[in-house]
Amino acid sequence: MKKKGFWLVVMALVLGCYVFAQAEEGVTDTEVYIGQWGPQTGPAAPWGAVARGTDAMFKMINAEGGINGRKLTHFMFDDAYNPAKTMAGVKELQEGKGMFAWVGGVGTACGLAVKDYLMEKKIPWVGPAAGSLHWISPPEKYLFAVYPLYYIEAKALAKYAVETLKFKKIAMVYQNDDYGKNGLKGLETQLKQYNLQVAVAVPVEKGDSDMRPHAEKLKASGAEAVLLWVTPTHSVQIIGTAKAAGYNPQWMSTSTCSDFPLMMAISKGLWEGVIAVTFGELPDADNPLMKKYKADAYGKYAAKEERWGLFYYAGMLFAEPLVEAIKRAGRDLTRERVVKELENMKDFKGIGGRISYKPYDKNDPSCRQGQKEIFLVQCLKDGGFKKLTDWMEVPMD
Amino acid sequence: MENFLQLLINGIAAGGYYGLIALAMVLIYRTSEVVNFAQGEIALITAYFAYMLLDQLNVVFWQAIPIAICFAFFVGAMVEFCALRRAKDPNVLSLIIITIGIEMILMGLVSWKFGADPKTMSFPISPYVSVTFGKFYIRGLELLALLVLGVVFFSTYLFLSHSKLGTAMRATQQNLVVARVMGIRTKRIMMFTWGISGAIGALAALLIAPTTMQPYMMWDPMLKGFAGAVLGGMTSMGGALVGSFIVGIIENLFGGYVSIEFKSAVAFFIIVVSLFVRPSGLFAKHYVKKV
Repeated sequence: MKKKGFWLVVMALVLGCYVFAQAEEGVTDTEVYIGQWGPQTGPAAPWGAVARGTDAMFKMINAEGGINGRKLTHFMFDDAYNPAKTMAGVKELQEGKGMFAWVGGVGTACGLAVKDYLMEKKIPWVGPAAGSLHWISPPEKYLFAVYPLYYIEAKALAKYAVETLKFKKIAMVYQNDDYGKNGLKGLETQLKQYNLQVAVAVPVEKGDSDMRPHAEKLKASGAEAVLLWVTPTHSVQIIGTAKAAGYNPQWMSTSTCSDFPLMMAISKGLWEGVIAVTFGELPDADNPLMKKYKADAYGKYAAKEERWGLFYYAGMLFAEPLVEAIKRAGRDLTRERVVKELENMKDFKGIGGRISYKPYDKNDPSCRQGQKEIFLVQCLKDGGFKKLTDWMEVPMD
Repeated sequence: MENFLQLLINGIAAGGYYGLIALAMVLIYRTSEVVNFAQGEIALITAYFAYMLLDQLNVVFWQAIPIAICFAFFVGAMVEFCALRRAKDPNVLSLIIITIGIEMILMGLVSWKFGADPKTMSFPISPYVSVTFGKFYIRGLELLALLVLGVVFFSTYLFLSHSKLGTAMRATQQNLVVARVMGIRTKRIMMFTWGISGAIGALAALLIAPTTMQPYMMWDPMLKGFAGAVLGGMTSMGGALVGSFIVGIIENLFGGYVSIEFKSAVAFFIIVVSLFVRPSGLFAKHYVKKV
């Protein structure tokens, strides 16, 4: 009898170990753990809305019964846009709680700080909230970009400026980091196709508050259009300083400054007429999914002072492919299955452009760039949007 | 030449804002030898207070601004009363570190109460309208900043040299112990100085806020103002003023002709060079440690 009991215990232990080894990290019978960082304080805090948007979306999904019987448990933390804090926070959550996957994550530098760590551990990371080339070149098996590249955005604006507006002199003000330089590269590449060169490329340092020399350089170049690849605050300062200097070109801007109601408010109306790229449906779009998110996620779970702005619902947009892949993976949820489902995704349509991935190929960056479509909008007097183009895909070269 | 003159005007315009901060820092340094790194954030919280009055509570401009300036005086005085005066065995270094702590607390308070979204404060003069003379221009708001700086400079100068309170402030600066023996209530004088300095620094923020406001907006002007004050001499008001204009002009000329990437770094280069070559600054008497 004693012997029988002993063998029962051994069998239970072996079985237990087997089950333990099989269970995927961050997945329980009732929950899936998903992590995200985002600045809620510090200079980039306006982009903190991304994580809050994702959070509201997950709450909406959970209220509707979750996915395949599991609720999405969202762990978000404030890294204040500081890569050192991102790294510390990601490690703490990953090694303490054990995330199944990571979603969103604002900031190129912050993302770069944790990219290798997540990839080495083979943890899926979907939809970094920055359009950097770093996410896809070289492509990583577990990293799925959603945000269209800044490089592509700049190309689209340059194309529109030259082909539609017939401008020949185009300048750029860019933040002197990866974000700005990606944009500059796109502008240069596109202009080369028309045998044109950038009229002047003016760098802006993040902490700088005096934009007078920048405006002088732009004015001296006589550019007909200027692309702004800086923060919303710097964009407004540059346009205002240039206006005071009597220089009024066609201003064009990246998607990070395409939240027109916000831009109109902080620029005291100067943003009117600015052309920007956008990667998500417009806030008041007649799109059933947008309406659903607005009513069921934002309407029920957003804080009172939260605005239904681009950054907020971009948090949902970035998470859509991951949610879809978890759905498709079914009850037997593993990281490998999610990766496979993502790779099989073709023309998936949420509230952004169509999203497609391909099986992993280390020589093909586009296999991990999900959304390639964008469209252009112009800011109206009341902060509204005038659609200048339809969804369009701009080639990489 | 035209470009050079315009850059010069731009430099003077930038110097106007730096000058207000520099003046405020010098005032405190003269009485307590403390470099007040919270200067920018006292100004910041005042600008947000004014924004709250003007844009959220709809107070009339001509009432809101004096209230905001009184608020800045109060904050400045309270920093001295509640934080610096309470320091145990205070030495200059520990007091400076306290100001850095206060700087962070105030910035955190602003981020917490008002959020980090950029904002803009209502103001009767549009920040984008400029006054032109010939081919040159200066923004209306910048002209106002220069005017305010001039008025503040002369009134502070007159106050310090001709009023009883001003004389008491100078006496406190020259010799704290003797001043106390002579019946001057030096602690009150200190508190008053911090209040005045808070109010002067806040003027800079109130003139920057109509363009854009965000919790980091005073960091750059504060450091540039500090550079100007160091260059001019931390104990000389006139020196701080000239130093601030020099910083503004050099960074604009440097940005225009040499490198726009290193434009902001020039201010710090100036601090380093002036500390090497002339640690007491251009206009201050040679630094002698007070006994």
